[in-house]
Amino acid sequence: MEEKNFEQNNMQENKQGKLKINVVDDKKGAGRKDRKAGDIVFYIVDYAFFIVFTLACLFPFYYLFINTISAPEFVGRGEINFIPRGFTLENYIALTSVSDLGRSVVVTIARTILGTALMVAASSFVGYLVTKEEMWHRKFWYRFLVITMYFNAGLIPWYLNMLMLGLTDSFAAYIIPGIVAPYNIILVKTYIESIPGELQESAFIDGASYMTVFRKIIWPLSKPILATIAIFGAVGNWNSFQDSLILMPNAVELHTLQHKLYVYLNQSTNLASVMNTGGTSSSVLNFAVNGKIVKYTISMVSIIPILCVYPFLQNYFEEGIMLGAVKG
Amino acid sequence: MAQQPIENEKEKMAPVFAADRILAFLGFFFLFIPGMNPARICEKISNKLSLFTSAVSYSSIVADMKQLFRYGNLNQGSFALLYAGAIVLALGIVVIGAGACISLGNQPMKRISIFVSLPGSVLSLIGLVLIFISHGQISADPNVGPMLPAGVILYTALAVVILVLNLILMVTVPKADSSVSMHMETKYQLFLMFLPFGMLAFVFSYLPLWGWRYSFFDYRSGGELSADNFVGFYWFKYLFENSATRRDIVTVLRNTLAMSGLGLLTSWVPLAFAVFLAEIHNKTFKRFVQTFTTIPNFISWVLVYTVALAIFSTEGFINTFAQARGWIDASTATNYLMGDSHTWLKMLAWGIWKGTGWSAIIYIAGISGIDQQLYEAATVDGAGRFQRMLHVTLPGLMPTYMVMLLLAVAGALSNGLDQYLVFSNASNLEHMQVLDLFVYKLGVEKGSIPLSTVIGMTKSIVSVVLFFVANSISKFVRGESIV
Repeated sequence: MEEKNFEQNNMQENKQGKLKINVVDDKKGAGRKDRKAGDIVFYIVDYAFFIVFTLACLFPFYYLFINTISAPEFVGRGEINFIPRGFTLENYIALTSVSDLGRSVVVTIARTILGTALMVAASSFVGYLVTKEEMWHRKFWYRFLVITMYFNAGLIPWYLNMLMLGLTDSFAAYIIPGIVAPYNIILVKTYIESIPGELQESAFIDGASYMTVFRKIIWPLSKPILATIAIFGAVGNWNSFQDSLILMPNAVELHTLQHKLYVYLNQSTNLASVMNTGGTSSSVLNFAVNGKIVKYTISMVSIIPILCVYPFLQNYFEEGIMLGAVKG
Repeated sequence: MAQQPIENEKEKMAPVFAADRILAFLGFFFLFIPGMNPARICEKISNKLSLFTSAVSYSSIVADMKQLFRYGNLNQGSFALLYAGAIVLALGIVVIGAGACISLGNQPMKRISIFVSLPGSVLSLIGLVLIFISHGQISADPNVGPMLPAGVILYTALAVVILVLNLILMVTVPKADSSVSMHMETKYQLFLMFLPFGMLAFVFSYLPLWGWRYSFFDYRSGGELSADNFVGFYWFKYLFENSATRRDIVTVLRNTLAMSGLGLLTSWVPLAFAVFLAEIHNKTFKRFVQTFTTIPNFISWVLVYTVALAIFSTEGFINTFAQARGWIDASTATNYLMGDSHTWLKMLAWGIWKGTGWSAIIYIAGISGIDQQLYEAATVDGAGRFQRMLHVTLPGLMPTYMVMLLLAVAGALSNGLDQYLVFSNASNLEHMQVLDLFVYKLGVEKGSIPLSTVIGMTKSIVSVVLFFVANSISKFVRGESIV
């Protein structure tokens, strides 16, 4: 107790000492004003840099957004640059008439939920198993998993393999290959190792099985890291388009949202062609005139879910990336 | 004492159980290898079909036979029989596998495993008989090109041997003492729990390596790999001897190394970002910056391209803004995404825009881990702001930076496909085509499978070597390996 107090006192003294030194420093005549000025300049430059960088990261999304909620006639004349005008949700409503878009949204949501859930379940379980020294050749099996992060056979062999397994043009191709995710397993393993071992030991002494310990102790305690990998997984699934592009040549109904967007972006023709313009409602016509609004609106639809969940989950990312930095 | 003979017996039979397990594993493994598919009883069945796929989907078996069914004398029933045979065989193999797993347990469990493996091998044999019958039915029809695949012989041999082994075991392994309860050693229990995931990793990460064999054959899509079209190192030589390909490769390597080189040269940007952000003491502002600069990392390259369109295309922000001010008129509007000026720098800029905030997190966390007393001591010694950065913060972050740099070196040949795929167009391809994009275009779009496999394979091997070099450097310099 006393020692601690002493330390605290000491620290306070240190602080005071530092202050004094600063004062002394500042009093050293001519240096004082320069230094103050230098500090101010530094802060101005520093703040300005970060404000500009942050705006550069934010503005494009804002720009896309205001263009999608403004009246098409203003957007068509390029008048929407900073402030939305003529608020309307017509663009979003008209999106429902873009053929196949609804289905790709459903496919993307389904793969995001299913793929993430299975990946998290598998990673937590495998991450737990590889912490168990007793496992038969544990070291070998753990390396067997980890090594896969550092090599891959290449795009074409990967494709041929999927073809061989019959996973082309099938929804399973989105889910099954992603179940075992080595990086996430490392994260979970590292996290579980940081949980005091006594908790498990006492449970084993009480006769609990490995599964019980996993369900009752490990699973609840490792929720933060599971949340982290769930976010990684969900974002990855939501954004993925390579597998859709390469593995689904014939199953157009299974294309993901990003793939659809990629196709639309590359369409040189007016996007009116993808609309079911059977009716001549003015909103659909207006919408069709402005191909770029369609692109913007579809983009917003696929960005908004990420923007919505993102800020709340940011704390988890930092934790996750730090754990990943620890040696596997 | 009564246990003694049983224990002895168990020891004696251990090699037989081990052989049984290895065979069971082989049987399971060949389930996924198309070359070993016993259900491919005619040439009309795709040679890319594994037994597993054949047993899962009937439509994959008869995919190429719709014509024959429509016009001909081909009996659909034979293929239904084939399908049933494939299912029974696959089921039998799975049962054998389950038996092999159970045999890792103690005496009573071993006994049970025998009575699982036995019916499993019988089931497999029944499946093989069904396949054989359907082969007999279609063998009269030359249109489908009937054949007896190697897989039938292989699986028959496997099933018979497993059957015999288990019959021997049934006779020699005595009945278990009913007082001994079933039990399996912990190490095997844990291993069996791990096994399904290990298999998934194997199937999706190791099995693709099997595809490397395509680089030694003159393969065309839909064709076969056989001794006839084995060409040895032809494609490797072709890469260098064909002048058009050689020119392509040189361009592609130039682009790849240029992009990676620029990435390495700017790898200090996230570090600087973190260091200068640490100088800001307003917590809310810091949080704000961190939150919003990491967002670009979480959107796909397709969306980055939309963003690029929205800002830089002819009808994007910059052009419309300048037009509205009368700085330019509509006819001089430039699409900054077309054209081939400063392509590398533009791609680098997008990479920095997308990645800096995210990469900086690790350094920000690193800075918060540096002992505050070091800063205080430095201040006492009269170090200014920049001196503190240089002599306290940077040395503290160096180990992390070195790891990141080495990993970047190891990944120098992998620029990723997405970014270059979405940003490339006819006008800038010359500077945009990196290895990953080149392989994609060659293999997927042009269907030149052997050549693209050769390139991908070389790339993978070089990358692995680079990684190990980087790892050794790390071991040598820091006394710590990356992995």
